[in-house]
Amino acid sequence: MDLSPGSALIAQAHRVDLTWNTAIVWALWLVVGFVGIFPGIVAYMVWLERKAAGRFQDRVGPNRVGPFGLLQPIADAVKLIVKENIVPRHADGLLHLLAPVLVLVSAFLSLAVVPFAVGLMPIDPPSGLLYLIAVSSISPLGIFLAGWSSRNKYSLIGAMRAVAQLVSYEIPQVLATIPVVLWAGSLSLATIFEHQARFGWNVFAPPGLLAFAIFAIAGAAEVNRAPFDIPEAESEIIAGYHTEYAGMRFGLFFLAEYLGVFVIACVTTVLFLGGGMPLPFSPFPTNLIDGSIRRYVLVDAILLAVFLFKVLLFVLAMYWVRATLPRLRVDRLMNFAWKYLVPLCLLDILLAALWFEIVVRPGRVSAGRWTAGMVVTGLLVWASVRFVFWVNRKLAAAGPIDADWPVVGAAREGVETDEGGGIIAREVGTTWPGLYSS
Amino acid sequence: MARLVFLLIAGLGLLAALGTILSRDLVRAALYLAAFFFCVACLFVTLEAEFLAVVQVLIYVGAVAILLMFGIMLTRDAAGGSADLSGAWRVPGLLAGLCVFVVLAFGIHNAVSPSGKGPWSGIVARPALEPSDGVAWKAERVRAIDDMPRVVGEQFMTRYALTFELAGLLLTAALVGAVVLVREDSPPTPDEPADAASTEPEPAVAATR
Amino acid sequence: MVAYNYVFVGLLLLTAVGFALAPLALVALVAPRKPSPTKGDAYECGVRARGDAWVRFRIQYYVYAIMFVVFDVETVFLYPWAAAYGALGVFALVEMTVFLALLFAGLAYAWAKGVMRWT
Repeated sequence: MDLSPGSALIAQAHRVDLTWNTAIVWALWLVVGFVGIFPGIVAYMVWLERKAAGRFQDRVGPNRVGPFGLLQPIADAVKLIVKENIVPRHADGLLHLLAPVLVLVSAFLSLAVVPFAVGLMPIDPPSGLLYLIAVSSISPLGIFLAGWSSRNKYSLIGAMRAVAQLVSYEIPQVLATIPVVLWAGSLSLATIFEHQARFGWNVFAPPGLLAFAIFAIAGAAEVNRAPFDIPEAESEIIAGYHTEYAGMRFGLFFLAEYLGVFVIACVTTVLFLGGGMPLPFSPFPTNLIDGSIRRYVLVDAILLAVFLFKVLLFVLAMYWVRATLPRLRVDRLMNFAWKYLVPLCLLDILLAALWFEIVVRPGRVSAGRWTAGMVVTGLLVWASVRFVFWVNRKLAAAGPIDADWPVVGAAREGVETDEGGGIIAREVGTTWPGLYSS
Repeated sequence: MARLVFLLIAGLGLLAALGTILSRDLVRAALYLAAFFFCVACLFVTLEAEFLAVVQVLIYVGAVAILLMFGIMLTRDAAGGSADLSGAWRVPGLLAGLCVFVVLAFGIHNAVSPSGKGPWSGIVARPALEPSDGVAWKAERVRAIDDMPRVVGEQFMTRYALTFELAGLLLTAALVGAVVLVREDSPPTPDEPADAASTEPEPAVAATR
Repeated sequence: MVAYNYVFVGLLLLTAVGFALAPLALVALVAPRKPSPTKGDAYECGVRARGDAWVRFRIQYYVYAIMFVVFDVETVFLYPWAAAYGALGVFALVEMTVFLALLFAGLAYAWAKGVMRWT
């Protein structure tokens, strides 16, 4: 944690020394940041979501506990703690306890590499982005364990759906970060941030815009937000994998989920929206750094404020989407990841290389090259999006209109689906008759 | 200090490995295996191979563990505990494990390090954890540590280009193989009546009547 | 030394586990405990649940898991390539195009064979 501006503009040293200085900074991060501020932010994100959802539905939302219901998160926490912890008799007790811990640990660990401002990131390992993806890929394991250890059909179905969805959307999410890495030439999030100070926010390059869109969609799916909330579709499978969780254990899942939303918003901001930079094509606050502490504090205050503002906007957008869109059907959901997003990502990587050759390789942004890059890659991105959608429509139109509609297909073949067993049969039977029809 | 950390991680890894083979419950065994993978990642970190450690977590803990879990959910006897691993398969399994061990030991023993082939003890001492020693190749090493992804990428694209494409081919083969495997499990054609197993889903949800 | 970064990760891991377990310990102290046979049942529907939840699942899930592993490994190859791209050149782009085409062929095969159809 080197607080003075080094030779690089923003990036801090990848290496740290184990001095008392480091130890104090780390202790501050752990105690103030991870135990204090981040859970606090998450608690008020929940409050904000309830308020926002209330407004979307023409209600007022929580307004009883404190002014504007501001004390509601505290009341909720107290309620969760004094509630009885119910573990089903047949559950696998140890794994039932381990599952929420794993999910929460995964969400916590991924916050360690987010650069909130200059020097304001816990650590900056050279493979930071890959680290982020690696630790966030632990949470599907926790979710599976939650569903499996509960020994409840709905839990297990919810968990299987959740894991299938998480792993499917992890691929486009990861692939969408490749253009960013390619342009910055590094996996360190601080370097990616610095790259955007010099070349403009990544979202303002056409391949970056496409990658941003894919990353945001896949990110919403990664944290089970609507319209990708099939794993906990309460109208179908009670509450999915956390059906059998009560009290504080459920609270941990809840905390991890909103922590995940916060992480996704932070990472999107850093990767595509220029981190804490207020202006798209100017390194504005960072060029004020001259080595004095006061300037440094000023710059970081600006960066942090802008960063949190962008995160807030992104989170509100996610709430808006949730209030607007209905839930996707499970087959459409998987198709969308594999048949639309993954091919688009692969094309986008090649276009990102093209953008790199046109704009980034010469070393400085010039208006002429930038315009040329915008026109060329913009057209190509537009064409590839149209192409992927066109191919998918053509292929879908080639099959019968209800080919992917299980109930109709089954009814046609004379298999009765009683209301109770219908869901289960569709999920678990390996030899469901409509499986390979057409 | 480094040795202490190593012993701690190795001990935990050993416990996890023992748990994997001694656990009666398939899901728990797979979970112990994931814990073991994590311990290996920790070992990579102590060897300054940060990139490799992260990849280990991403691929093994994140992906292979999920694959194992889904594989377990595919087996008939997923119902906990009843999955019996003992009996006829114990001896062949032991034999296979022994073979893998011999191959690995042979490979490690005959490995050629950058400083030439040496005895095991020499190999153990080589990647010293303190930055002060090894002045001769210090700059290269520092670059490899500070910018490991890029160094790996450059090596992939130049020296190991063929291996790289072969890896791609192998991955494709794996995918095609999986698809073929699934198709093999051929379902009844739409004309045939569905077999009993599917019309009567085994554990139908509690009947409401 | 770079590995010192991960000392923080280790500490954070411990902190996170502690943060998760502390409220659970508090719950064990504060919360009421009144177990009853009905409460211990699986929460499935009003009457007694029938059959075990641990059943065999459909193979589609496994296909997705395999595809996930394959593409996950692919991304591990893609990251170093992307990081090193600036220092390399057109040849690297060609190599990667071949690599991506190979993988896309696998995906297209799975697509064409219809294993990606959910039901």
